[in-house]
Amino acid sequence: MSEFRRQHWAAAVDRLFTAVRQNFVTFLILIFVGTRQAGGDYFVYVLIGTMALTFFSGIAGWYRFQFRVADGELQIKKGIFVRKKVYMAKERIQVIDVTEGLVQRVFGLVKVEVKTAGGGTESATINAMTFEEAEELKRELRANTSVKIEGEVFEKGIGIEEEFLDEWKISTKELVLAAFTSGNFGLIASILGALSGQLDAVITDEAIDYIQGALPGLNNFTLIVTVVIAILVISWTFSFLGVIFNYSDFSVKKTEKELLIRSGLIERKHITIPFDRIQAVRFVEGILRQPLGCGMLYVESAGFEQKVKERSIVLVPFISSAKMNDFFDRFLADFHIPELDIHPPKRAFFRYLRRPSHLLLLTIPVAWYFWEYGWLMSFLLIPATILGWLRYQDAGLYFDSKMIAMQFRNFNRKTAFIRRKRVQVIEETVNPFQERKSLSSVAVTAASGAKGIEFSINDLEKKDVAEIRNWLLTGNHMPLQDAEAG
Amino acid sequence: MINHIPEQRIDKKAISAWRLSALIFGLLFFVPAAAYVPISLSINKFDPILLVFAVIPSLVLYLFVGLAIPNLRWQRWRYEVNEDAIDLLRGFIFKTRTVVPINRVQHVDTNQGPIYRKYKLSSVKISTAATTHEIPALDDETATEVRNKISQLVRQVKEDV
Repeated sequence: MSEFRRQHWAAAVDRLFTAVRQNFVTFLILIFVGTRQAGGDYFVYVLIGTMALTFFSGIAGWYRFQFRVADGELQIKKGIFVRKKVYMAKERIQVIDVTEGLVQRVFGLVKVEVKTAGGGTESATINAMTFEEAEELKRELRANTSVKIEGEVFEKGIGIEEEFLDEWKISTKELVLAAFTSGNFGLIASILGALSGQLDAVITDEAIDYIQGALPGLNNFTLIVTVVIAILVISWTFSFLGVIFNYSDFSVKKTEKELLIRSGLIERKHITIPFDRIQAVRFVEGILRQPLGCGMLYVESAGFEQKVKERSIVLVPFISSAKMNDFFDRFLADFHIPELDIHPPKRAFFRYLRRPSHLLLLTIPVAWYFWEYGWLMSFLLIPATILGWLRYQDAGLYFDSKMIAMQFRNFNRKTAFIRRKRVQVIEETVNPFQERKSLSSVAVTAASGAKGIEFSINDLEKKDVAEIRNWLLTGNHMPLQDAEAG
Repeated sequence: MINHIPEQRIDKKAISAWRLSALIFGLLFFVPAAAYVPISLSINKFDPILLVFAVIPSLVLYLFVGLAIPNLRWQRWRYEVNEDAIDLLRGFIFKTRTVVPINRVQHVDTNQGPIYRKYKLSSVKISTAATTHEIPALDDETATEVRNKISQLVRQVKEDV
């Protein structure tokens, strides 16, 4: 790949498709508004013109876009009017993502995104190339530059990278369970709920009369209940399909140096994570999944610019905690599942019970005063206290010379595993009430994306936190008396 | 190390610098009261008693933020830089202790705004792959010293590995 070359021409099609998809809503509105007025035909011409312009600029962009791998760099020339040259040194390249979007799949192609530390992601996206080309590009970019000089070792190096040592798949049953228990429907339901509030224009009295006429037996109350149930069912269906689309055909493969994640039904995604970029692993047991003893496994990888939402990469979308040990053994040998041996002391119990209610205690009097049924809010204290109780039960911590494991709950129960070398900062916070009981909260930060991700546990024994601090610096899990002597 | 509390204090001039900046930015507390005057006059409903009630809480807040807080803040600030870690202790209600191991430091720089410049103070900013931390208000020489010390330690540790 040392000569400059172009992408597959489907890149131009992809560009058009992306433009249409991104501006879909705008298009709809324009068509709706435009055709309603006199001279709607004229408007259609403008629309077609714009589309044609986008298409031709796509072709020009494709024509101008050239790339090669030379001098240990990925070199890209692009830009229609403003010529731009992008050079990315191999050593700086952190992640190579291969995606198959809709257009790419039609042409049997893939899209390759090359990401470096701190660099923008847009500039190093090759939109359309064959799978073989992508593999070749990946191989060349992954090949160690220093080894390249010694010819024979180089060959060997490639051989090792290509070999899949192990593979993890999720069964159809697991996929369906994952889709069933996805927590996303809460989010979608709230969006739908907010939207339905905007439907006042549609829901007129006549409309309601009509519905009530068509479906006798509906009074106001049952109507509301029906709407709520409908919203829940619809949003739950969406979230179900979302999971199926995202995680069908899921697999994690392991090579000597990397993990390769592949998933997706319509848009297929390939993500490559080098082992030495893994900062932390996170096991999240959603409220609906925890009773099944299952959860989702995320991996935090550092250094390249990611959108906030994509900071964590899904490593396994659904895995039972019983299988976790097996998975760690096979794919993440640096980590293991320990028995959590440090917990908040008994005297922290009531602090845990009260903590979720603090905000409520401020809002309840206000609500009580201003709204007729505001006092009903005080019933929220019950679930808040239960949440506090669960948090107390779940809070736990473990560390040894290599790694730390922290379990805590906000709503979902989360367990974070971080290698000691990857802990960036430890922060201890004490407020006056904690001071009195010699308790303190600890937050451990690992790098994730361009920023950090923080894991914290409240109200631990002060001595334990001091020990964690000591562990970070020395790697020792010292019994306390030794520590005090030293 | 374990129960050892960092010892270095930041420069005492920090109190004056913080006080000055709090007294300047604290003027914003008077915006509601100041806005009341022209608005009420324009609709002929100016009431001096109401103005006094608007000014008093602002004034109390202003004096508290300007006079008491810088002192407390200075009292509580401790830092230490040694071959293992950068250790920061601060806060008068919520006490926060931050430990950054030396080999996680990515870069260090010193900063100086106009107010700090007046008092010949600089802050030292320490960045890791995930977070940034600041030791505020050291006098210029100390700040440079601390910065050099950290970057030297970092180089040392990275060579060892």
